[in-house]
Amino acid sequence: MTATRPATAPATPPPGTWRVAAGGRSVLVDRRAALAATVLGVLVLLVVAVSLAIGTARLSVLDTLPAAFGTGETRDVLLVQKLRLPRVVAGVLVGGALGISGVLLQTLARNRLATPDTVGLNDGATAFAVASIVAVSTSLAPSALALVGAATAAALTLGLAGGAGQRGYRFLVVGLGVGAALGALTQLMLARAPIDAANQAFPWTVGSLNARAPLAIALLAAGLAVALPVAVVLGRQLRMLRLADAVVVGLGLRVARVRIAVIGVAVVTAGLAIAAAGPLGLVALIAPEMARKAAGPRSVAVVGSALAGALVVLLADLLGRTVAAPLELPVGIVTAVVGGPYLLWLLLTTRTRRIP
Amino acid sequence: MTSPDRTTGPDPTPGADLRTEQLNLGYGEARVVHALDVALPAGRVTAVVGPNGCGKSTLLGALARLHTPQSGAVLLDGRALATLRPRDVARRIGLLPQDADAPDGLTVRDLVRYGRHPHQGLLRQWSPEDAAAVSQALAAADLHDLADRPLDTLSGGQRQRAWIAMVVAQETDVVLLDEPTSALDLGHQLEVLELVHDLARAGRTVVLVLHELSTACRYADHLVAMLDGRILAEGAPVDVVTPALVRELYGVEAVVLTDPVAGTPVVCPIRRVPAAERTRQPAPA
Repeated sequence: MTATRPATAPATPPPGTWRVAAGGRSVLVDRRAALAATVLGVLVLLVVAVSLAIGTARLSVLDTLPAAFGTGETRDVLLVQKLRLPRVVAGVLVGGALGISGVLLQTLARNRLATPDTVGLNDGATAFAVASIVAVSTSLAPSALALVGAATAAALTLGLAGGAGQRGYRFLVVGLGVGAALGALTQLMLARAPIDAANQAFPWTVGSLNARAPLAIALLAAGLAVALPVAVVLGRQLRMLRLADAVVVGLGLRVARVRIAVIGVAVVTAGLAIAAAGPLGLVALIAPEMARKAAGPRSVAVVGSALAGALVVLLADLLGRTVAAPLELPVGIVTAVVGGPYLLWLLLTTRTRRIP
Repeated sequence: MTSPDRTTGPDPTPGADLRTEQLNLGYGEARVVHALDVALPAGRVTAVVGPNGCGKSTLLGALARLHTPQSGAVLLDGRALATLRPRDVARRIGLLPQDADAPDGLTVRDLVRYGRHPHQGLLRQWSPEDAAAVSQALAAADLHDLADRPLDTLSGGQRQRAWIAMVVAQETDVVLLDEPTSALDLGHQLEVLELVHDLARAGRTVVLVLHELSTACRYADHLVAMLDGRILAEGAPVDVVTPALVRELYGVEAVVLTDPVAGTPVVCPIRRVPAAERTRQPAPA
């Protein structure tokens, strides 16, 4: 078939893509996905600026940027650098990590309901973190145990489901079961714990950005610095995973290997995010959904999901800090309260899958 | 479209020698394919037929590296598939499985682009060859006008043609299709089968799993009839298909007529032979 081809055919890129080429190498960029990521990125920056400005003491949005870099009034610098910036950074990182984890698990299981929340990672992390506070007298930090808990739950779910992928629904159902069991364990521990310990453990059951361990945030930042590029590089393979196994094996993809890589990145990102902020419900479900709506069906929007996750967490935290001020609602409660109806709306308005 | 003509077609360019050697396939304890030796004629259409559960889809899957042999081997140009890199196999052998399903909103062109995956890499995402192959595949399947339509707005036949175009864009010597015409009406079946026939004319080795025996006779150059994981008969349809074969394969008493147009066998079923009767009196030779 190659014989009929002109020798110097142009590499006209498919519609809706840009082709960046140099010296025989070429990369295709999906225009809509790129545009969506840009818009989401700008929105994140805007919300970051607003989050830095709004609080008990209000600053002008314009003053926050210099203050973040240490110039301006001393009070502003202190407020922004010491109090608000760490929280905002934590929000961006946690949201980004949850967004990535969500989009990876959804793609892997070929099911939009498969997220760290539903496959038991959140419950695992919570159970282990709560255990470290109330049940076992250990000096291990709850953050570290949250990470271990997420990995344990993932291993349990994968082991019991016999892998993800082809049996995506099985992965999901087993994950729900594992999550329920670990959730019950958490309840049991809280019920039997002394009231002080139970209070201390409470943030680990809802998710909050308030006064989190700086080390956990730093670890999360480091994890994301690795996970995001890996997830982006996996983008081509993720695109493939959306097709049936038989098809992608026929196209030469090493499916098992790709799956392990995807699961690894998903567990690490979710685990580190939960270790930093506790279980933030629904973020990993809503963020990829927003990104998918914006970026279109052609690509798997990894960057878009990360940005959408950051946006959701920042907005939820902003809402939690302002709506009942001076009382502060934990961000996890806001994501659950706002996310629940959004999820319902999403499920009810999504068109039926296929024309027979 | 003319009827399949086995004498005036171009000389098959022997692009790939695909065969199995003492191939055993199964799932766990259950063995589905037994010590199978089959060679697939290059540049021809081979149809694998047989009753449900006879192992024909499993065989096709093994030819595409989908199943690992329990023992024996699938040989591509004399080398076992299991020893080759998946990507290299995917450049030689293309597969369209049953019940292929695509994500919502994907267009025909998006789908066909997937076929280029084995020819691409992280830093080689779109070459002139890719552009030309996708364009040629769309043309071969007569889909240029529909290229930017979402798959879920197409008819069943058009959608199946789009999937075949994906495999065509893969530019493999061998094309494997698992029941490409099931769930299609007569017109759409022909739409797909004529495309398949054209692929073989262009020099590719085509292997189809088909349910309908008469259709298989009409469009295949070579017929492989399987029963219980073994080959019952093999050869040109006109030589292979007899009332005895139909009885043994499907447990159906039938008259085999000759297609007035193509000259190929046409199976006209009369009645189902009850299982008891089948074991009592073996089919006449």
